[in-house]
Amino acid sequence: MLFIAFPVICYVIALRRERPGSLRERIRARGWGLLLPVIGLAFAAMMTGNHVLLVAELVASCLIMLFAPGVATKLVPFGLLLLAMIGANLFHAYRRSGEGSVDSVAYVFVVGRMGLLVPEAVLFFATGIWLFIHVRAPGSERIGRAVARWWQGTAAKGVRRGQELLLLPVLVLALLLLHPRHWLGISWWTAAGSLTVALLAAVGALLLMFRSRVWAVTLAAAGLLVLGAYGVLLAMYWPGLPGWRYGPIQLYLASTSLKGCVAEGIVLFALGLWLAPGVMGEHLGTRTEVLEQRVRTLTRTRTDAVDTAAAELRRIERDLHDGAQARLVALGMSLQAAERLFPTRPDVAMALVSEAKEASSQALTELRDLVRGIYPPVLADRGLADAIRSLAMDNPLHTIVDIELPGEVEMPVGSAVYFAIAEALTNAARHAGAGSVHVDVSHRNGMLKARVTDDGAGGADPGQGTGLTGIERRLATFDGILAVSSPPGGPTIVAIEVPCALSSPKTSTC
Amino acid sequence: MRVVIAEDLYLLREGLVRLLKAHEFEIVAAVGTAPELLDALVRERPDVGIVDVRLPPTNTDDGLRVAIEARKQVPGLPVLVLSQYVEQLYARELLAGQAGGVGYLLKDRVFNDEAFTGAIREVAAGGTVLDPEVVKKLLAKRAKTGRLSPRELQVLALMAEGRSNAAIAQRLYITEKAVSKHATGIFAKLDLVPSDDDNRRVLAVLAYLDA
Repeated sequence: MLFIAFPVICYVIALRRERPGSLRERIRARGWGLLLPVIGLAFAAMMTGNHVLLVAELVASCLIMLFAPGVATKLVPFGLLLLAMIGANLFHAYRRSGEGSVDSVAYVFVVGRMGLLVPEAVLFFATGIWLFIHVRAPGSERIGRAVARWWQGTAAKGVRRGQELLLLPVLVLALLLLHPRHWLGISWWTAAGSLTVALLAAVGALLLMFRSRVWAVTLAAAGLLVLGAYGVLLAMYWPGLPGWRYGPIQLYLASTSLKGCVAEGIVLFALGLWLAPGVMGEHLGTRTEVLEQRVRTLTRTRTDAVDTAAAELRRIERDLHDGAQARLVALGMSLQAAERLFPTRPDVAMALVSEAKEASSQALTELRDLVRGIYPPVLADRGLADAIRSLAMDNPLHTIVDIELPGEVEMPVGSAVYFAIAEALTNAARHAGAGSVHVDVSHRNGMLKARVTDDGAGGADPGQGTGLTGIERRLATFDGILAVSSPPGGPTIVAIEVPCALSSPKTSTC
Repeated sequence: MRVVIAEDLYLLREGLVRLLKAHEFEIVAAVGTAPELLDALVRERPDVGIVDVRLPPTNTDDGLRVAIEARKQVPGLPVLVLSQYVEQLYARELLAGQAGGVGYLLKDRVFNDEAFTGAIREVAAGGTVLDPEVVKKLLAKRAKTGRLSPRELQVLALMAEGRSNAAIAQRLYITEKAVSKHATGIFAKLDLVPSDDDNRRVLAVLAYLDA
């Protein structure tokens, strides 16, 4: 009974966390949560070999297929991995007792032929892993970009392509934990010690890679679920395992009990389950959660954009006031004085006129610089590609430009990218001690990517450069990101990614 | 000297016409759009065309493109391009292909009418005139010019602006002989083949800085 009641209870807990709505809506909204009863049922079937449970397993699968076919495809790899585990279990049981309980779905056809069981389990495992990598989860693009934020430069591409692979350490640990070899033969202390270390190492490594709160919680949830399930499974073998210990409490008790083991397992599993919906929502997002997240992002970036625009206008006003305006006032005064002096002191008047000419020239220079900072004329004239080439020409370092843009970028995005590259080039020339810079710009799959790489000394701290912070905020308005990688010894890489569409190339008017 | 002027802002166009008439240029056409300019340049074959980069219809770099197109149709047609801002990119495009008869100046240079009319005559005579702002940007490539002395840099800048040895000597208050000595030194340091022709000299310097 426990094995039926337990997942049902867990699933009810999970569903109760949902907003009100019809059952169908809830199931649809939960998506990945449907995984839990299937896991529970499969475990139960695996342990008892009960035909009723097998039917329940099948019914659950059919329901999922009916209600959420999209989810069903995503469950397939999990199911396969589970089957592989069951296979390993069966094999072990057979080896021990000479007779196998092979009633579980996939292995029912190989009754009495244990030789086939192993390759079949291996096949399930391999297919499961392969599918796991290739089934793209909803929202994975967002994870990819979060990953890119921390995992910079060229590595980002590789990680984005195989991001699901990053979950493999957790899976492997789960398989290790659930494999019978660790229940028998090896002492619990050995197994627990090494597995805990391995788990901690995996968690540590992943957290180092991501430096992300979300991933920390994900791993905690996964760990709790796995350990909880392990505790409950262990109960099945309890009579044959004298002196075994399980769980944080029993490890420190003089005597152990089956009930205590199961209780701890349930508590840990429930804790994991409690964390899981939130974590899944964070990663994969039910529709509402995605929208809420989007609204938060938009609110933040809009505030930033408005602030930036206001600050920019203030700067322009100040520059005009102190620069061109002041010069025009001086110019008017010089001309007025010259007018008065012409009849009596023509030589002085002439000098004043020359001065006025000089002042107007300087006013022009200042206006020119101001205009360049607002919207570079060459960008307006020629578009992003030529504007970047022009930047490269003006850069004091030897600059190689590689641009693949089959069309023209919309003006606001183009301007943000232009200033980002300008800033990166300026930094390279000013700080890096570099001899040459490489600028790469390309557009693929609706994503504009730019990379500025210098051969300088590296060691730049992106947190220190206020210029790049502003650029990052400006790019964020377009859902763009900027990442800086600058290990000591170089090279420094500034990478930019902005989602945007390209319009058709500009046509010549003459 | 027959001149075609293209400038879309009425006040500036009239100002240019007045200035050039005062210096005894003959204005054969003063136009305000790119198509009119192309027509005037090809039909009138002026001694020099004075062209604003930004012209209707698109108000981007139409003037520049017309200048390049006209020089394709009428090889060697002297064109002086004026702009509110200078871009190396545009300078290179103007200079590409053909030598001589090209100028690229900031509009402010009009303030100094002696120098400005001098530049027009220089371009009309087949010379090359580059704005000091462009040259400053060209010479900013550290790796390329790091080996030159400050004096040699000055001489190189003036050479790139398209000035003759005599003009450089006058500007720097040194003798022509000293200028040609500096020029030889520069060309030796940069591994360039020396040339007495001012145009080819500009192109050699630009090609070097471009590489």
